[in-house]
Amino acid sequence: MNAGLAIETNGLVKVFRDFWRRPKVRAVDGLDLAVRPGEIFGLLGPNGSGKSTTIKMLLGLLRPSFGAIRVLGRAPRDVATKKRIGYLPEETCLYNYLTPRETLDFFGKLFHLERAARRQRTEQLLDMVGLAHAAHRRVGEFSKGMARRIGLAQALVNDPQLVVLDEPTSGLDPIGCRQVKDLMLALARRGKTILLSSHLLADVEDVCDRIAILYNGRVRAHGSVKTLLRQQDSLCMTMPALPPATLERVLKSVRKLVGAEPEVNCPSMDLEQFFLQVVAEAGRVGEVRSGVAHSDQLADFLTNERADPPPGAPRP
Amino acid sequence: MERLRQFQALAGLTALEALRQPLFLLLTAACVMATGLAPLVLMHQFGEEGRLARDGGLAFHFVFGLFAAGYAASSSLSGEMRRGTAAAVLSKPVGRATFFLAKYAGVAAVVLAFSLCATVATLLAERVAERFVMEPGIAGFVTDTRTGVLLGLAPLVAFAAAGYVNWRRRRPFESTAFVLLALFLAAIAVWACLFDRLGRWAPFRTPTQWAIVPASLLVALGLLALAALALALSTRLGATPTMALLVAFFLLGLMSDHWFGTRAADSLASATLYRLLPNWQHFWMADELGGGGTVSIRYGMQAALYGVAHIVGVLCLGVASFHGADVETRG
Repeated sequence: MNAGLAIETNGLVKVFRDFWRRPKVRAVDGLDLAVRPGEIFGLLGPNGSGKSTTIKMLLGLLRPSFGAIRVLGRAPRDVATKKRIGYLPEETCLYNYLTPRETLDFFGKLFHLERAARRQRTEQLLDMVGLAHAAHRRVGEFSKGMARRIGLAQALVNDPQLVVLDEPTSGLDPIGCRQVKDLMLALARRGKTILLSSHLLADVEDVCDRIAILYNGRVRAHGSVKTLLRQQDSLCMTMPALPPATLERVLKSVRKLVGAEPEVNCPSMDLEQFFLQVVAEAGRVGEVRSGVAHSDQLADFLTNERADPPPGAPRP
Repeated sequence: MERLRQFQALAGLTALEALRQPLFLLLTAACVMATGLAPLVLMHQFGEEGRLARDGGLAFHFVFGLFAAGYAASSSLSGEMRRGTAAAVLSKPVGRATFFLAKYAGVAAVVLAFSLCATVATLLAERVAERFVMEPGIAGFVTDTRTGVLLGLAPLVAFAAAGYVNWRRRRPFESTAFVLLALFLAAIAVWACLFDRLGRWAPFRTPTQWAIVPASLLVALGLLALAALALALSTRLGATPTMALLVAFFLLGLMSDHWFGTRAADSLASATLYRLLPNWQHFWMADELGGGGTVSIRYGMQAALYGVAHIVGVLCLGVASFHGADVETRG
């Protein structure tokens, strides 16, 4: 196994068994993965393709039936490895009777953080996820999106080296989705490794350096996003709006030179950009009374830019 | 030191979660009310003054405690597996043995808190019970109605006060009500020590059956053994099968002397089951208190050793079972 990789699996297999120990389902089937330090790696696949099972094996929560795993150079069940990992589960799993502040303080204690550091990080993370005003409420009363934000905050409380995010934007509004994507990019700029599992392909395309697509527990395609999505036989040009006569002359020249009919489109703002504009405008005049206060700020302890990003980690 | 702090955090959270479960509060309140009101509504003496109140209090302690301990233990582990919080915690630098044992420590803490309330309620109920008095103007059976009413009302007053605190300070209702209930019981106990049944100042003149305390401690130890069993079962089973098996173990253990003890000499299977099954009769000392009797120190130590050995053995099995278990969300 390669010691330089953040995550490496060889021939990973997970067979779930029933009460009588008979094989029930082969969720992961001979999976080989190699995630480099400092990259954002996307794990894609339809429901039941083995993404979450793979993640749980990487975290030592499930025992592989066969195969080998190394996470940050160690076995996944090694407690020392987990000090450097942040994990956001697919379903936000929080203690319903705790408040957000108690929740973050509790997870901070599990990482042996001192009281002052816990308090500071808790406040910064609550501000970052826009829930400082709801810090006295029980997590069990939260909407799915609000609970998701607390889940994200707890995954970052230890300033992890490897962040594992299982469907991080599930249940979030478009602003929250944008913040999560910005957060991932900011963390990657600091040299953090991110393993992202998501159904939202646009999100993955926006942030991931490389992806692997799983189906029935096996990798069906993998590589850099740009390479996998590139269409070698076509080209797209963007230019200022042209008067009709000029456009006709350009098209005529292209037809003559290329010998094919070019496709002309007017670029438009996408719905996400439009939504963000409208909400930003509304936020300037109104105050938050319930739900989430939107903030563009990252927690201070997560924003110290790393001077020398690791090699082989191109940023989108 | 760091691991100890982590252990404390996990145990503390387990205790807090259990205290904030509405069912745990209801079981504690029901136990206190049943213990407190029984001597007011039952007029039978059972051959000895205060016996019915004492036996009833210890029985309520054991039976309500069985469900409180079982529920707290199974919801703390099986419930966490179902909700996925166990996976969230075990993805942090937390060893499985630490997690399991901290869960037990947290559950044990709330079981002991429950037992404390039940013990104080039993001591007070024994005082409330009907007894014969020869005083100027009275020669007959009387009950300490004031203490009985205070005891019966304590849960209701605690609920009302917790509601007010929840409204004013937004503190969680269930844990606040539990703490207030314990404080009210302590206050009633102090009041009962200082005043007589007619509310006259008479410090420490009303006799208290302190022998109830060691008997109650043994019941508490039995509950701790039940909690260990429930927690070990929860490593592989959901909450419902865990509770069903726990009740089965409780009933089998109660009848162990009769079913297996009498046949132990003739049958290897009976002898094995007799040794392996926890025998809850060892923790039931209510009969020893009859006629002013007490639990001997020697017996108390032997029973405690038996209970601790069972708890340690069951916890070791639980750790081994949890170490190899897949931590996944249980549907």
